[in-house]
Amino acid sequence: MKRLLAVLTVGALLMTLLGLDYSKTVGGSYVYYVTHWRDVGVPNLVTAILADWRAYDSLGEVAILFAAITGFSLILEGKGRWR
Amino acid sequence: MAMSLVVKTTTMLVAPFLVTYGAYLALYGYASPGGGFQAGVILAVSAILLMTAYGPKQVKRHFSIGEVRFIEGFSGLFLTVLAFAGLVFGAFFLNFMRPYLPGGTVVLFNVGVALKVAAAFILTFYLLSRWVDRD
Repeated sequence: MKRLLAVLTVGALLMTLLGLDYSKTVGGSYVYYVTHWRDVGVPNLVTAILADWRAYDSLGEVAILFAAITGFSLILEGKGRWR
Repeated sequence: MAMSLVVKTTTMLVAPFLVTYGAYLALYGYASPGGGFQAGVILAVSAILLMTAYGPKQVKRHFSIGEVRFIEGFSGLFLTVLAFAGLVFGAFFLNFMRPYLPGGTVVLFNVGVALKVAAAFILTFYLLSRWVDRD
């Protein structure tokens, strides 16, 4: 029963993912990035997007790491009986 | 959990090159493929490799847990200050260093993220290595 449920869930997810529209949209942010990436002053399109326009994404990633380390320190540090 | 002589020697030879490669990725990542996160992971791997080959205690003697924690917190603070320093010049994350430095704040940001990621992963391994009974 469990296995059947898992197969049904995965099958439904697969059908949903296969039915999505992956064609390239014309206009929008794609055109803006391609036409304006030289304004950043970085000789690399990927870095221009990742580290300049979307740098706050990396800031969020840093916040996640900080939260993880805080949790690790809170739970695993200290003079427990496991040390 | 120290390993055999072959593993120790190989690790000792490989680790400096890993540090060099990580520094290259962090400093030059604005122009070539690379970036902060990858550089930080490679920097962390060089320490984790030493930790698995020589045992956590010997590595902790050279990079103490307080130093790693200081680097972790300080680079996090540095990134936040860098993000909000752009606000003074007009916009959040504005690239205000561009006239003075090739790449501007992108290079500084990459270096900060690399230090942060490396310190975070090493610290995670330090804290988890307390559960290892043999050393």
